[in-house]
Amino acid sequence: MNKYTLSKRQVVNELSTFYSFLAGFLIALIIGSVILLIQDKSPIDTFSLMFKLSIGSVNSLSSSLNKATPLILAGLGIAIINTVKLWNIGAEGQIFMGAIGVNLIYINFQLTSSTSFIFLLLVSAFVGGAVCILIPAIAKVLFGVNEIITTLLTNYIVIGLTIYLVNGPWKDPGSLNFPAAAYVGKEVYLPTIFGKLSYGFLICILFTAFAHYLKNSSVFGYEMRIAGGSEMTAIYAGINAKQKAFLAMLIGGGFAGLAGGIELLSQTHRVSTGISQGFGYTAIIVAAITGMRPIGIFLVGSLFGALSIGGSVIQTIGVSTYIADIIQASTLFGALVIQFFFNYQLKRADDG
Amino acid sequence: MVDIQFLGLLNATLQAATLLFIASLGELITEKSGILNLGVEGMISIGAVAGFMTAVNTNNIFLAIVIGILSSSIFASIHAIVTVILKQDQTVSGLILTILGLALSSLLGKNYVGRKLETKLESIFSIENPSNVLEVILNQNIIFYLAIIFTITISYILKNTMFGTRFQAVGEDSKAADSMGLNVTKTQFIATCIGGAFAGLSGVYLTLSYVPYWTDNMTAGRGWIALALVIFGGWKPYRTALGALLFGFLEALVPRLQTYGFELNPYIVKIAPYIITILVLVMLTIYKGGKTGAPKNIGIPFFRENR
Repeated sequence: MNKYTLSKRQVVNELSTFYSFLAGFLIALIIGSVILLIQDKSPIDTFSLMFKLSIGSVNSLSSSLNKATPLILAGLGIAIINTVKLWNIGAEGQIFMGAIGVNLIYINFQLTSSTSFIFLLLVSAFVGGAVCILIPAIAKVLFGVNEIITTLLTNYIVIGLTIYLVNGPWKDPGSLNFPAAAYVGKEVYLPTIFGKLSYGFLICILFTAFAHYLKNSSVFGYEMRIAGGSEMTAIYAGINAKQKAFLAMLIGGGFAGLAGGIELLSQTHRVSTGISQGFGYTAIIVAAITGMRPIGIFLVGSLFGALSIGGSVIQTIGVSTYIADIIQASTLFGALVIQFFFNYQLKRADDG
Repeated sequence: MVDIQFLGLLNATLQAATLLFIASLGELITEKSGILNLGVEGMISIGAVAGFMTAVNTNNIFLAIVIGILSSSIFASIHAIVTVILKQDQTVSGLILTILGLALSSLLGKNYVGRKLETKLESIFSIENPSNVLEVILNQNIIFYLAIIFTITISYILKNTMFGTRFQAVGEDSKAADSMGLNVTKTQFIATCIGGAFAGLSGVYLTLSYVPYWTDNMTAGRGWIALALVIFGGWKPYRTALGALLFGFLEALVPRLQTYGFELNPYIVKIAPYIITILVLVMLTIYKGGKTGAPKNIGIPFFRENR
């Protein structure tokens, strides 16, 4: 009888994550094509239209990069928290909380210099995101409560809070059909670099570099990795694992909060339930697919931003926007399948 | 005296509890085999839309239930393939299963938003205006009774049978179970699909009975509360059922507080179940001091060469 046994490869190809991603993306495009064919739509027409409308012109390219900004920032936050081997499923809520933080400061303070005011607002977005993850972080480090469930549940709480705010204390009487807070003044809009491309994307590049440094080159990054490893090693190395985990969670939450602040100041200009369209969830895919590598998150986040823009414009030809979501999720599943063949080896068992 | 408000509260409690409990029971089985599936929310959603679509098109409630269960079970097999056979990260796979499930069900259900069901899942003994506790209980539909039967049988199987002991051995120590000659891969694969089937039944309950219509993201985090319930129940069916009743009660009570004379903001009322879930998890973890009762091998892929 031919039996196969599985063994772990001793040496895994360095670029395996990248190849897996490419293969996964291809698999996802095939799955997307099948779904389109079932709906009597031509995959080639649809995909080429998505391509054209997402990166075909300066304007569409800048929309795609603007869309990528929250995905990348939230993804970076997830990756930082994962350095201590914890999960942040609460990026969606943190994005909303970042926007809430901005509006809270905006309506209570006024600074004459708009540059420093924008800076203050972005700081409050970061703080908002950190505040959002505070309770899951405390529960985790003090009592060991599963952070996956608590961070996820905070999403529902913060979105509920947003709905309360825009229907209650922050309700803009001028917005009749769609409950929203009042628009922020033009003086705090994030300026554009060229086309529609917001300075938010520049911030995003800076934070990618910062996250890369933090994770891979800084002392804190080293301490986080130890803290995420075995308890004994951390004690031996004299590292306060709980403190590192706590800090990592707050910083990661802050990254997602900043995403919400940028989204408010550059795109929506007001608080509403439209601040995020599932960016925090897509960011999980982006972070996981890249093996939590900041540069990878930047690249895949940009691609997924384009995919989302493409997905939202193909509505006009009667194709569901969910195609983009399905392609994104399938990419990760495809990549996981391919990754298996990089990590394991099937061997014929000759002598049992 | 049993007043009508109390009966309404009891009825709503039982319904909310059934919905949560069925899904958590499925997850309990999956986790007992050592596989963590965070895709409950997505699986419920798939079952909910598949059942609803079948019911709208065929008016056959029984067929709708079967299709709902099968769809979620097949959907869960994605997680089984990726984690059990290909040994990839269970957290990642489960999370993406939720994202994929929500997107896929929204895509499938696009033309069913706002459609009405001709026949919904009725109770076995149709009692008009139940006037006492017994009548309210008898007025529940078949899935409620299935939940009770499942609780009793699953608890019995896990505790008192050889099969149950072996099954749990897989989740506690898969290497030992393997050397005992148990087929770990097969057990985990089937347990994951069974978890999906239960989530599907929960989804069917949602769209055929609890709120008989379909809309995007209507699971509203219930899959995550179901996951929390497994922890709450310490991986034991009866305790999980108790937890589901407690959460069902809170879900039913909070919107009714106003009728009992409390002034509450309706928006705050909506987020109460999530706040309560977090608080309960925190208190429970403090109380148990880390001894949760989780299967020891949960989340760790079984790999024969590790032996």
